[in-house]
Amino acid sequence: MKIPHQRLKPRAPRLPMSFRLRSIQTIITATFAGMTVLVVILVSIMLYNKFSKTAEENAYLNIQQIIEQVNYHLELYVKGMQDIYAVVEQQIDQTPDVGSGVLREQLTTLLHTREDLVSVALFTPEGRLVLDIPNAEMRRNTKLTEQSWYESAREEPQKLSFSPPHIQNLYKGQYKWVVSLSRMIEYRDQGKVKRGILLVDVNFRTIDELSRKVSLGKQGYAYIIDELGNIVYHPQQQLIYAGLKYENLEPVFDYAYGSYIDKSTGVPRYITIRTVQPIGWKIVGVAFPDEIVTTKQDLNQFIFWFLVVVITAVVLLAVFISAKISQPLRHLERSVQSVGQGDFSTPIYVSGAYEVVQLSKRFNFMLHRIRQLMDQIIHEQEAKRKSELDVLQSQINPHFLYNTLNSVIRLAEKGKKEEVVTTISSLSKFFRISLSKGKTIITVEEELEHVRHYLIIQKIRYKHKFNYEIQCDEAARSCKTLKLILQPIVENAIYHGIEKMPDEGWISISAAVQGERLVLTVTDNGLGMTPQVMDQILSGSHRSGSGSGVGVKNVNERIRLCYGKPYGLHFASELEEGTSVTITLPAESDHAEELERGIS
Amino acid sequence: MSLSKGIARMALLLAVVLLTGSCSSSPPNLRTSSGKPRTIDMIVKMNHGDYWNTVKMGAEVAAKEFNVQLTFKAPDNESDIDGQIRLMDQSIQNKADAIILSASDYMKLAQVTDRAAYYKIPVISMDSEVASARVKAFVGTNNYEAGQKAAERMVALTGTNSRIGVMNFVQGSKNGDEREEGFMDYIARFPGVHVVAVEYCQSNEQLARELTRKMLNEHPDISGIVALNEVASIGTGEEMQKLGAGGRVKLITFDSPAKVMELLQEGIVQATVIQNPFNNGYLAVQHAVEAMEGLDVPERVDTKSKIIDLDNMLWPENQKQLFPFVR
Repeated sequence: MKIPHQRLKPRAPRLPMSFRLRSIQTIITATFAGMTVLVVILVSIMLYNKFSKTAEENAYLNIQQIIEQVNYHLELYVKGMQDIYAVVEQQIDQTPDVGSGVLREQLTTLLHTREDLVSVALFTPEGRLVLDIPNAEMRRNTKLTEQSWYESAREEPQKLSFSPPHIQNLYKGQYKWVVSLSRMIEYRDQGKVKRGILLVDVNFRTIDELSRKVSLGKQGYAYIIDELGNIVYHPQQQLIYAGLKYENLEPVFDYAYGSYIDKSTGVPRYITIRTVQPIGWKIVGVAFPDEIVTTKQDLNQFIFWFLVVVITAVVLLAVFISAKISQPLRHLERSVQSVGQGDFSTPIYVSGAYEVVQLSKRFNFMLHRIRQLMDQIIHEQEAKRKSELDVLQSQINPHFLYNTLNSVIRLAEKGKKEEVVTTISSLSKFFRISLSKGKTIITVEEELEHVRHYLIIQKIRYKHKFNYEIQCDEAARSCKTLKLILQPIVENAIYHGIEKMPDEGWISISAAVQGERLVLTVTDNGLGMTPQVMDQILSGSHRSGSGSGVGVKNVNERIRLCYGKPYGLHFASELEEGTSVTITLPAESDHAEELERGIS
Repeated sequence: MSLSKGIARMALLLAVVLLTGSCSSSPPNLRTSSGKPRTIDMIVKMNHGDYWNTVKMGAEVAAKEFNVQLTFKAPDNESDIDGQIRLMDQSIQNKADAIILSASDYMKLAQVTDRAAYYKIPVISMDSEVASARVKAFVGTNNYEAGQKAAERMVALTGTNSRIGVMNFVQGSKNGDEREEGFMDYIARFPGVHVVAVEYCQSNEQLARELTRKMLNEHPDISGIVALNEVASIGTGEEMQKLGAGGRVKLITFDSPAKVMELLQEGIVQATVIQNPFNNGYLAVQHAVEAMEGLDVPERVDTKSKIIDLDNMLWPENQKQLFPFVR
C-alpha cells in the first residue's frame, strides 16, 4: 500500500485541481451528471415511444373517423335519392295516364324543390321516350340503350340500380355529370298497363365535392369505387386511365370495412375502407404513414433540443453543486497541508457545510491539544534538566562536606581516632554512591547503603542524639530506584524532627515490595509537622539552609517525571508524635537500562 | 479510470439515441412532405378556357403530391407574347425553383428561356415547345402524330378521292405547324386526295366563321375540313351547322370543348382529336420536381393524343377526359 502511494505522490501536484479524476468535485460532477443524463435519456426514450405511438394511433383513428363521416354523408345522400325515386315512382303509379298534364306538373314541382335533381325520364324497354321532365329537346346520337343504367334495368328489372357517374348526353344544353337511378316499373298509358324504365338523374356534384374535400394529412386522399371496381371518384382519375397511376384494388375487394397497410406501390399507404349501403360503393381512404413519421421527426427534433438543454443545465448544475460541496473541503485540505508542514499556530478555516464545520472544529480542538501537549513536554523537559542539575550539584554538596569535615577536625582534636576513621570512610562511601559513575538509577540496596552512611556521619555529628534502623525485604533489595531520594527525606527528618527535640530521636527506614509497588518509608519520632509546613516542603518554599541541597520537592518532582503521577511522596505527620514519609515507586528490577534511557 | 470509461459509454449511448431519429429517411423521395415547399411557376398561354383549367387541375394534383407551391400565371390572351415574356422575367426575379412554360411563340420566348437557364432555374416546356436548347424536357402531345391521326380519319371518312380544306390557327405557331405538317404528310400518300385550301383564323372564332364560309363558297366540291385548334373547331363547326353543310362536308376538329361535343352528337363533327391537358399539367410538375432534385428527366414526354367519335365518347375513361369538370 505504501509504495504505490509514494510513487503517485510526486505526480499528483502537477495536475491542476479540477482535473484530478479522484477529486470529490470530479466524482460528484460525473456521477450526478451521468445519473441525470441517463435518467433523462431513458425518460425521453420512453416518452418518445409513447408519444409517437399515440400520435400514430391518433392519426389512424382520425383517418378512420373522417372516412366514417364521408360514408355517413354518402349513405344519407343515397337514402335521399332513393326516397326521391320512390316519390317519383309512386306518383307515376297513382296516375291513370302517364301523358296527363297533372303528373307532369307534379314532377316538375318535385324537380324544382331538389336542385341536384337533373331529370326524370320514362323509356319503353326498347328505348323510346315516354315521359321526360324537364321537357327539353333530346340530342341525337345518345346511344342510350348502350348506357349502363339502361342495361342494368333490363338485366335486373326489380333492383333499383345506381350507375357510376357519367355524362348525361340526352338533352341539349349543358353536359352534366350525373348518377343515374333506374328500374323497370309499370305505368298506365290511357288505362293500359305497360312496363317501362324509369330514369332519375341526380347531379354528381354533391358527391364529387364531398369526396374532394376529404384530406387525409397533406397528401392523403379518398376515392370511391363501385361494386364492379369502376371508379366513381378519384382525384387522379385521368392519371389512372392514362396508366400513370395505379390503385391496388385487389385487397380493397376483400374488405367491406377495415384498414390495412398497402405496400404494393413502394411507398407504404394506410388504407381505410368503408362500404356505402345499400349501393355497395366503397370509400377508400389513402393516407401516407410517412407523414406521421414527419410528426415523429418533429418530435425527434424537439426531444433532441430538449436533451441538449437539459444535459447542459444538468452538467452546469453538477459542476456548481460539486464546487459548493468540495470548496470547503479543499480549503480544509489546504489548511491541513499547512499543519502538516509544521504550522500549528494558525487555526484552520471554519465554514461551509455542517459536517465540514464539525470536522474543522474537531481538527482545531485537536490542534489546540497538540499545542498544549507540546508546551507541556517542553516545560517538563526544562524541569527535568533543572532537577538533574540540582542532583548533580547535591552530589558534591560543599556545605555538607564542610560540616562533616569540621566534625572530623573536632573528633581528631579530641583524639577520637576510631570515630574519625568511621566518619571518613562513611563520607567516602557516601560520595561514591552519590556519584555512582553518573548513573541516575541505582538499586534499593545501594540507596539504603547511601542513606546508612549519611546516618552514620550525622549520628557522629549529633553526638548520638538519635538512633536509626534500616530494614529491607529481600524482594526490594534488587529493585531499581532513582538515586538520592531517601537522603533528603532523612535530612529533613533530622533537621525538622529530631534536632530540636530534647529526647533521643529514632529514625526507621524500611523498603518493601507491595504488589506492583516498591514502598520506601522513613519514619521518625520527632516534633512532627503542621499540614502547612508539609505543603511548603512539597511546594519547595521551605528549605533548610544547611541541608544537603536536594530538596524534598525535588525528590517528589523527579519521581513524578520519571515514573508518572501515581508515584511520589506521601507525608503523614502529627505534632509531638513524629513524621512518616512514604515513597512509592514502581517495583522494577529488570528495566533499569530502559529507565536510564528514558531519563537522559 | 473506470469513471472516464463510463462517461465515454454514456456519450456513445446518447449519440446512438440521437442518430436513430435522423437515419430514417434515406432514399431521395420526391413525395416528401417535410421541409419547405418547392416553388414552381407555371406560365401558360391564356388564363381562361377549359383546356388551361384542366392543365391547372393536373398541375395542382401533382403540386399536392410533391409538396410544391404552384403559381399559375398567364396573360389574358394567347396572342399577348410580350405579356408572357414579362411573366417569365417576373418568375426569374422571384427566384422560382423551376418554371413550366407553355410558349405562345416558338421563337420569341427563346431568349427569356435561356435567361432563366442562366440563373440556374430549370425550365420545363409544356404543351408548346420553345426554341431553346436549355429546356430540360418537353411535356405534351406529339402534334405531328396528332395531325397524322386526323388525316388518317379524314381519309377514312372521305375516301381516297377527295378535296379537303385545312383551318389552321396562327402562322408560326409550332403546334399548328406540326399538326399541319403531320396532316399534309399523311395526305400526301394518297394522290387522289387534294388539300384545296389552308386558312389561318388567328385563333379568332369570328374570323374562322368567315374563312369557313369563304372556303365552302370557293370550293363547293369540298368533302372535308380539318380544324387544328379549339377556337378554329368551334368557329368552323358552328358555321357549317348554320350553312347546313354538316354531314355532307366531314369535319375533324381538335380538342373537346362542350360546343364541339354537341356538334359531334349533332353529326356536324365526325371526330375530334383530343390531347391530355390534365396529364400535361401533372407530368410537367412531376418532371420539374425531378429536374430540381437533379434526377434524369426524359427529353420528351408524349402525353398521347386520341381520336374521339360517337362510338367511344361515352367510354368511362374518355368521359373523364372530355369533361374534366363536374358542374
